Amino acid sequence: MLASLLLNGNDMMNLTVNIGMAKFQNPVAVASGTFGHAEKYYDLAEVKKLGAVVPKTVTLNAREGNPPRRIVETPSGMLNAIGIENPGADGFIRDKLPPLQKIGVPLIISILGHTDEEFVTLAEKFQGRENVSALELNLSCPNLGKKTLVAQDPEATRRVVAAVKKNSRLPVIAKLSPNVTDIAVIARAAEEAGADAVSLINTFSAMVIDVRKRRSVLGNFTGGLSGPAIRPMAVYMVYQAAQKVKIPIIAMGGIMTADDALQFILAGATMVAVGTANFINPRSPVEVLEGIKMYMSKNKVTDIKEIIGSLRTGEAKKQETRSREGNTDAER
Amino acid sequence: MPKLQNIYRVVSNEKLCPRFYRLCFDAPSIVRKVQPGQFVHIRARDGLEPFFRRPFSVCRAQKYVEIFYEVVGPGTGVLSLKKKGDPLDVLGPVGRPFDMPPPGIKQVVMIAGGIGVAPFLILSDVLKKKKKLELVLLYGGRTKGHVFNMKEFRSNGCAAHVATDDGSVGTRGRVDKLFAKINPDPKTTFIYTCGPNPMMAAAQKFARQHGIRGQAACEEVMACALGACLGCSIRTTKGFRTVCYDGPVFDLDEVIFDS
Repeated sequence: MLASLLLNGNDMMNLTVNIGMAKFQNPVAVASGTFGHAEKYYDLAEVKKLGAVVPKTVTLNAREGNPPRRIVETPSGMLNAIGIENPGADGFIRDKLPPLQKIGVPLIISILGHTDEEFVTLAEKFQGRENVSALELNLSCPNLGKKTLVAQDPEATRRVVAAVKKNSRLPVIAKLSPNVTDIAVIARAAEEAGADAVSLINTFSAMVIDVRKRRSVLGNFTGGLSGPAIRPMAVYMVYQAAQKVKIPIIAMGGIMTADDALQFILAGATMVAVGTANFINPRSPVEVLEGIKMYMSKNKVTDIKEIIGSLRTGEAKKQETRSREGNTDAER
Repeated sequence: MPKLQNIYRVVSNEKLCPRFYRLCFDAPSIVRKVQPGQFVHIRARDGLEPFFRRPFSVCRAQKYVEIFYEVVGPGTGVLSLKKKGDPLDVLGPVGRPFDMPPPGIKQVVMIAGGIGVAPFLILSDVLKKKKKLELVLLYGGRTKGHVFNMKEFRSNGCAAHVATDDGSVGTRGRVDKLFAKINPDPKTTFIYTCGPNPMMAAAQKFARQHGIRGQAACEEVMACALGACLGCSIRTTKGFRTVCYDGPVFDLDEVIFDS
């Protein structure tokens, strides 16, 4: 009885969200680099329930990735320095894309170029392909030995986004780095250049040291921190970006549960992506989706759009102002 | 979403000697499916500490699934506290299993170091059914107390030779001291090895010297176990390969063991 009521409730709920011209049946995606070999291991009927899948970042030419060790467990999280190991765009399109297309879930293709032209070439390769709904520009991988990431420079961000937008009919999403002073500035730059959405956050640059060997644990020396350890910082960054941009935000950063995902949605995210949690609880994307539906049904929310950015800020705003004034006093 | 993730019940979790345990859990679907060399990926407990699941070779799969482990950190520490009847969140079996010995092989040599003996009990359970195969186990452990399952190996028809660091049983020294016990023939001998990298490197050197083919079951810190994150890659002659998906079993000649 209760189950049937809930089911009816679900039927009446609208979970669809839009990124540019692309429509997704619900706001829950699987984040880049955390999903593979679905055809062999996954119940594809369950995968099909999700809003979108973002496969691992593709570069123009194949990359063999960073030397081992590539990952290390940290408190409530992990550090990785995979180094965008991938077969290159043509290899990906030949071998990896067809089984993903077969699932029937919308795909957001994550691309990374080493130049603006490479980004454009990559974008062109994915035009008009079945089930490819959008492009995510990875402007923020911390593990490629670059001194500055595109997403650390508003001008570079603007340039890359504008170049791809000019040459792509697919919606363009700029994936941003948390390793910046003010992520809202970069989000604004992406929006001004025509991005259809921003996704945040990529991983935090970080390191773990083996004190016995007096060496960094990772083969790449440094890596990117992900998992629940970074979630509160990610929620704050999404909130900050949401104050400054009108385009949708796809949020990620340590989402393990529906409650985690809802924090991002209330802070202003239109979609959420589950990443690292897939390694711990591979059912988490589906559980997050079910949990969001339960929250909506319990709170009599019929359209997900009603709760996007619906954080109540009255008292908190006053608190924030007070603490800012307090700081100013102290500085004086 | 994976078809292979389930909650099972712990049947027993026996301490064999300080820090070494054997855990059995009731998972008929894994017993039916698992092949020697494959592993299961266990979440030691709900919550965020320890964060990763932990991979364990399946040691035996008869009535129950058995894993054999040493407490080396927080994951295995929590696992060692499991009691009969406790739920166990298991993903598996996954990974590339051992190949069966190629045609013409008459002598199978299993070279094990420490906890690396785990996949060889299930392997010998399968290989004993093959007629005309001579099974040899070369097994190195720290002390007499660290040498396990000898009765089971012998009842599977294995000629078992043991080396211990302190000489408390068998030959004193590392397992490579036992290489002289076998009579290798490139056409009829096949090696399987599992253990610390320096030991597997010694087995590889021995195999190359004598022109013997073989396979190695490798280990690396692992996150997804499904070939998705590419975190557990090791160096091979074919480039980086994931232990969880391309392995854990690799052709012995292919692995580049870092010293």
